Amino acid sequence: MRFTKRLLTTAVIASAVAAPAMAEGTLDKIKESGVIVLGHRDASIPFSYLADGQTPVGYSHDLQLKVVEAVKKQLKMPNLQVRYNLVTSQTRIPLVQNGTVDLECGSTTNNLERQKQVAFSVGIFEIGTRLLTSKTSGVKDFPDLKGKNVVTTAGTTSERLLKAMNAEKQMGMNIISAKDHGESFLMLESGRAVAFMMDDALLYGELAKAKNPAAWVVTGKPQSFEIYGCMLRKDDPAFKKVVDDAIKATYKSGEINKIYSKWFTSPVPPKGLNLNFPMSDELKELVAKPTDKSAEQM
Amino acid sequence: MIRFNNVHKWFKDLHVLKGVNLEVTQGEVVVVCGPSGSGKSTLIRTVNQLETINEGEIWVDGVNVTDPKTNLNALRAEVGFVFQHFNLYPHLSVLENITLSPIKVKGMDKVAAEKQAINLLEKVGLAHKKDAFPSQLSGGQQQRVAIARGLAMEPRVMLFDEPTSALDPEMIGEVLKVMKDLAESGMTMMVVTHEMGFAREVADRVVFVDHGEIIEQAHPESFFTNPQHDRAKQFLRQLLTPMN
Amino acid sequence: MNYNWDWNVFFKSTGIGSEIYLDWFISGLGWTIAVALVAWIVALIIGSILGVMRTLPNKAAASFAAGYVELFRNVPLLVQLFVWYFLVPDYLPEQTQIWFKQELAPTTSAYISVVVCLALFTAARVCEQVRTGIQALPKGQSAAALAVGFNQAQMYRHVLLPQAFRIIIPPLTSEFLNIFKNSSVASLIGLMELLAQTKQTAEFTANMFEAFTLATIIYFVLNMSLMGLMSWVERKVRVPGMMGGAK
Ligand SMILES: Nc1ncnc2c1ncn2[C@@H]1O[C@H](COP(=O)(O)OP(=O)(O)OP(=O)(O)O)[C@@H](O)[C@H]1O
Ligand SMILES: [Mg+2]
Repeated sequence: MRFTKRLLTTAVIASAVAAPAMAEGTLDKIKESGVIVLGHRDASIPFSYLADGQTPVGYSHDLQLKVVEAVKKQLKMPNLQVRYNLVTSQTRIPLVQNGTVDLECGSTTNNLERQKQVAFSVGIFEIGTRLLTSKTSGVKDFPDLKGKNVVTTAGTTSERLLKAMNAEKQMGMNIISAKDHGESFLMLESGRAVAFMMDDALLYGELAKAKNPAAWVVTGKPQSFEIYGCMLRKDDPAFKKVVDDAIKATYKSGEINKIYSKWFTSPVPPKGLNLNFPMSDELKELVAKPTDKSAEQM
Repeated sequence: MIRFNNVHKWFKDLHVLKGVNLEVTQGEVVVVCGPSGSGKSTLIRTVNQLETINEGEIWVDGVNVTDPKTNLNALRAEVGFVFQHFNLYPHLSVLENITLSPIKVKGMDKVAAEKQAINLLEKVGLAHKKDAFPSQLSGGQQQRVAIARGLAMEPRVMLFDEPTSALDPEMIGEVLKVMKDLAESGMTMMVVTHEMGFAREVADRVVFVDHGEIIEQAHPESFFTNPQHDRAKQFLRQLLTPMN
Repeated sequence: MNYNWDWNVFFKSTGIGSEIYLDWFISGLGWTIAVALVAWIVALIIGSILGVMRTLPNKAAASFAAGYVELFRNVPLLVQLFVWYFLVPDYLPEQTQIWFKQELAPTTSAYISVVVCLALFTAARVCEQVRTGIQALPKGQSAAALAVGFNQAQMYRHVLLPQAFRIIIPPLTSEFLNIFKNSSVASLIGLMELLAQTKQTAEFTANMFEAFTLATIIYFVLNMSLMGLMSWVERKVRVPGMMGGAK
């Protein structure tokens, strides 16, 4: 243990020396280069994903484009170029930090750990963590999961909550941590788990993709709420203000409702699936009173 | 002891043994010689069926070895074979090289096998090398170990395929000496070799093979001094010419 | 880059019971070793049998082994894992299926699948090494073994394989290291081995560089120990004058 600590200390010193500070603000950088770099995901349906394999689309992406419009106006650069940069859950934070990506809008939860690394815009979405199960499973809420196999996606808040719940309430669940949401659903569909715990929006997304969507249902009292936000570099108040203002304006004008229904209650590309996920009270609240705080800070 | 009845062997289209008839009696020492590629190795390897034959029969000690029902492993355990390139097991010590088959094939107990191995090593003059590995021995020493390995199975017959031709000249003598002692102890031996000194001194009979046929068989003295066949004469001339 | 380094992160609570993040790494390492070692032992046994089969005069045995190698070497490992975990259980008898999918703890069924998958995949690679090793031996070795009356099994057991294995220790060492690397596929079916725990820690703490640095150090130390182990084995079985076998 002592050895590990000493090794780690050495690494800290090395990295502190190696890390140069970002001198200028994002707006200056965009102005100089004439380019804004947008971070996006490949499969966070319907938030940010590649429908045709090339350009991103989605709910978060539409809000991201609102910000681009505002930046153009602010910098008086109508011909500002947009460059896209695909990020994954592992790369999104470092790529924002090291200046590769200027703004990431996808399905990134705003939380305290991440606030140490990056800044978040006002919230763009709010999810509750719930359960997807078959209509015949008899599972209505979390207490029904006692002694059952439950799947969740590795590395998510749901996984942590589920494990904590299992330990605290001695529920005797077997918790399967699948690689991604698609695989979690496969575990559910193939009978290895009776329920799949995840962000409700994502559960609706998986349900829409199922062979027989009518066989499945999203249920259970949300165990936590999470607010998604766009990520930008820390300590850049000028850029953050442009981002926040653009999103708030979209909320205020009511345009958000159009964007919401486009992605959550209408067919979405590429397959024309409809998530049928009505806007939750929590999201309505967030739209009414935008905040850049994480759910745990509320 | 060994009898070849009209033995034929083909490698694909190549007719290597063309109707060989030969008999080696109990206690006899027969030397086989002939030009390179004439089929000597093939002939001697058919005795313990390291090479199969296509026609004819071979009998060893009253057993038809070419009968598919014959238990070849049992037969081979009774027939010692010494190779041109020794073929010792490089991963085993000298002692283990000798004791391996008595223990595994005959089920001999380890202590007895080692005692016997040391006896044999004494006979070939290598008891002090029992813990060495093959790579640590000279060629002549390796071949003497190989002979001891063959003898450890207490064979009824010993076969030698050019046992000295891979050796440096100064080591040939020590191997031939061991073979001579063996012959004098009454072992039945079939030896492919061009060592005429050995043939003269030890062999009861010399068999001359050419193009897969036995061309001449005779007592060594008469074969070397008065060969009958032209090809045998030519062969002997070449053998006697230095730098052949 | 304005990254916030925090090496104390490993000693922070995960929020689950009294666990700290370091515990995740330890348990991940445990699973990595448990998967790789068991799969390796099975792969060595099956691979050796197949390698021997490839060198047998029996045509049917040789072509069975050759077909096996083609199949298992050419289908991507991930595909094989999905076959073993999702597809094969669906063809089991009803009772066994329920047992495997529902009664068995999910980690256990994932563990079985990944060990089977890695073992069979690696067996194909071991097979080729063993075959090469046997074929590199001088022809005289098998002749010498047969001439003293060994049957085929004894010949392989006492003469050919001990030599072949000595020759192929270096390539086997690299297969041994590979199986540890490949064991990270386990995370795809929910078995939280080292890489999965690393990603998970990175995800939860947002301290991804610390997490991946620690993982790199652990993998490095693991690799060095495995190499040390194999060179110890090599020294143990070394025979004078038999480096690289054939002379
Ligand atoms: N396994 C084999 N496959 C095909 N041909 C072979 C094989 N072994 C030997 N031959 C051929 O059979 C013939 C006889 O070979 P053999 O080894 O018996 O000759 P030899 O008299 O022992 O020769 P040398 O004195 O050179 O050892 C040669 O033409 C040889 O090329
Ligand atoms: Mg020859």
